[in-house]
Amino acid sequence: MALLVNYIVSMAKILITRPEHDPLTRCLSHWNTKVIKNAKSKGNEVIELYKDRANRKEFEGRIKKVDPSLVLLNGHGNEDSVLGHDNEILVKNGENEALLKNRITYAVACSSARALGVTCADKDTTFIGYDEYFVLNLDSHFLTHPLNDKRAERFLEPSNKIANSLIKGHTCKEASDSSKQEFRENIKMLLKNISGPDDLEDVKDLFWNMSHQVCLGNQEAKL
Amino acid sequence: MNNEKEINETKVIDFSSDEEIRRLVVARLKVISSDTIKCIGNEGTFSRDQLIEHVQLGDKIGKTIEQIEMEWLRALKRGIISELYSEHG
Repeated sequence: MALLVNYIVSMAKILITRPEHDPLTRCLSHWNTKVIKNAKSKGNEVIELYKDRANRKEFEGRIKKVDPSLVLLNGHGNEDSVLGHDNEILVKNGENEALLKNRITYAVACSSARALGVTCADKDTTFIGYDEYFVLNLDSHFLTHPLNDKRAERFLEPSNKIANSLIKGHTCKEASDSSKQEFRENIKMLLKNISGPDDLEDVKDLFWNMSHQVCLGNQEAKL
Repeated sequence: MNNEKEINETKVIDFSSDEEIRRLVVARLKVISSDTIKCIGNEGTFSRDQLIEHVQLGDKIGKTIEQIEMEWLRALKRGIISELYSEHG
């Protein structure tokens, strides 16, 4: 009985946005199904805003109703905003950034850590993201089957590591560190077995993503 | 007169340096596979040939590609390879 109570209490609520309107968002969305599967297998409640449901109205409504402890934002972005399906603004600095307060957010959305993340982050809020463009290299043969794309895997497994580490019970700092470690491992693996110019191209871009990933606010927060 | 000459010389050196970086980046891009698609955040998705065009034009996308190249070259210069391989695990 005590175990059951513990299990129920430890269940986290996770909100994931998965817009799909171009190669980058499609790829992120597909690779996030792995995180969703993992989260559900650990008994967490996952609320998905998929394709056109990744809009501002749904996002604001769900955040208020569900009160998730982890928000995973996949999509485009800029310094002040994170975007949803068809690049609709979901959260914007100076408008509704308070929605991310008292939670952990991981945003795979370019540059959003630069201003939006800085505004949100505080002693009760963590924002993990990128302070520059997130770069992703794909193989054109796998555009319709992103999960089979080995080049995408080099970029998105380290990215997924953040959510998976948090789900495992690690702190935000540990999650970001382990993501960077996986970026490093992929760089090392490529440098060791370099088979052509594509590998070197990926090395540079993996290094870029790793260098521009930041963890702001409460480093010790966990689910 | 001397000052003006110095300023002009500096400009020439800067330009030459930018041009060299551009040439290096284009040369690197030319050898990657044509199957490569690079997504650069909200700027879009680019084929190899489109990337080369952007670098040659020196626009925002081109500058970003150059910046990525330069960050890696600087990391190499400061010893990133030995840093990576001296780590445990």
